[in-house]
Amino acid sequence: MFVSRSMTRRVATVGPEATIFEIQALMSEKRIRHVPVVEKDNKLVGIVSDRDLRSALPFRYFQEGIRPEEKAKLQGLRAKDIMTRKVFTISPGYTIQDALLMIQNSKVGALPVVDDDGRLRGILSVRDLLRAFINVLGIGQPGTLLCILVEEKVGQLKKIVDAITDMGVSFGSVLVARYWEEDKRAVFPYLLTQNVAHVKKRLQEMGYTLLDPMQWYLDQLPEEDRPADKPKH
Amino acid sequence: MKRTGIVFDERYLLHKTGPYHPEVPERLTAIREGLEQEGLREKLIPVPAVPADLKWILAVHTAEYVKRFEAACRTGKQMFDSPDNQMCAQTYEVALLAVGGILEACRGVMEGRLDNAFCAVRPPGHHAEVSRAMGFCYFNNVAIAARYIQKQFGINRVGIVDFDVHHGNGTQHIFDDDPTVYYYSIHQHPSFAYPGTGREFEYGRGDGYGFTKNSPVLPGQGDEDYRRLLERDLFPTFADFKPEVIIVSAGFDGHRDDDMSDTKISTEFYTWMMRKIVELADTHSGGRIVSVLEGGYCLHRLPELARHHVETLLNG
Repeated sequence: MFVSRSMTRRVATVGPEATIFEIQALMSEKRIRHVPVVEKDNKLVGIVSDRDLRSALPFRYFQEGIRPEEKAKLQGLRAKDIMTRKVFTISPGYTIQDALLMIQNSKVGALPVVDDDGRLRGILSVRDLLRAFINVLGIGQPGTLLCILVEEKVGQLKKIVDAITDMGVSFGSVLVARYWEEDKRAVFPYLLTQNVAHVKKRLQEMGYTLLDPMQWYLDQLPEEDRPADKPKH
Repeated sequence: MKRTGIVFDERYLLHKTGPYHPEVPERLTAIREGLEQEGLREKLIPVPAVPADLKWILAVHTAEYVKRFEAACRTGKQMFDSPDNQMCAQTYEVALLAVGGILEACRGVMEGRLDNAFCAVRPPGHHAEVSRAMGFCYFNNVAIAARYIQKQFGINRVGIVDFDVHHGNGTQHIFDDDPTVYYYSIHQHPSFAYPGTGREFEYGRGDGYGFTKNSPVLPGQGDEDYRRLLERDLFPTFADFKPEVIIVSAGFDGHRDDDMSDTKISTEFYTWMMRKIVELADTHSGGRIVSVLEGGYCLHRLPELARHHVETLLNG
């Protein structure tokens, strides 16, 4: 759950004097989009993103290339000239949830992980968070997802979990999401089985509504982006 | 009329899966009932099932896996690798016999004694990985058949069409990096169905890149969607690949009455789809088809589905 468990530890970094061409080569070699800039003792002083690089280099550089004399001039541009100095950072003791909210609020693609002494310990990118959530969703394991609509009241999940457990079926994960209707929750058990027909039947006998798979959703869009055809129940 | 072989052995009924399990012996008795309608059985050439030579099993699975499976069976385990794989004391022998029947059918087709064949076997195979049993499957029947055909008869290109409603993860993975076996699967979208693989962007790996193709179907979709996807994804690719023989993973669980899926295929569409596969084989593969039963759990629909399937093999 902590950032220290999900971050990339072997971070590619540069010093403040690195040229933009060195940074560009590093990014394409390592296939990364963020390079922290550190001084001695691994002290973080800034970060260069691929967007910073693109703004610093002429557009033609990425197309047909540039003339040697132009390149020589750009050689003078260093990390310290193009880097972002006010960096959004997190500490290793932050949680994945902290990181998710910070990335959403700050709109950056990666957060350098810095300890109390200002030393760089790692980096947490959107890619690392994706990996963590692929794991949480359980989609690396063979199984079947169901979606059950339940009243929002205490004890619903227990009944569902008990019934499924009684049938000898294991869970890969269980997600609970808000539903369109205020007093309803959508429960998504990911079951590690192919044999779901009798599970569905049992749940329906217990009085639960299984949501039509074409109406499943995991996301709540901001109000203005929501589809007009909200499912009706 | 073609010379169509049929693999069916009473011993395939001996693999028992326990309560609440849909992969039951009654599936095969339902299929037998269908094949006995309208004198169909008399038009078919029986292919005897003998236990498969282990060397063919080992062309796909690891020795460690086979040993583990045999030991689990021998020591009376009721489950192997996953709770989906319920079994009994006979399961290992029956699984060997299933492969053995299929290989006999392959031999008949490759030696020209048969034009094609349908193998009504249990247990099914397409979820079985190299060293892991999954989703009711133990030995990957069609993968072993493909290797057997290649090695025993010097065949280069084998095409596999898997229309079971679940993705054949085992088969795909076994041939992931192999450009000589084309794996095509059409199935319910992996976000809505077991086993969660078979996404549209899975094309194979390394040398095998471009020799895997998946067509996911959404819940509620049926005949017209299947037809559109097959026309877009299967027919042109097989016309390019020109398989020398086609192996079919025939699963009937996408039928609208089968509660193992949310797809809505009609009986008539299964016939249409099989007719198109026969046409593909006639054009590119000298008519050679070995069709192997995978899923299909609606005991009321299996008789007609099996009958139409076999009639299509006989008559095109």
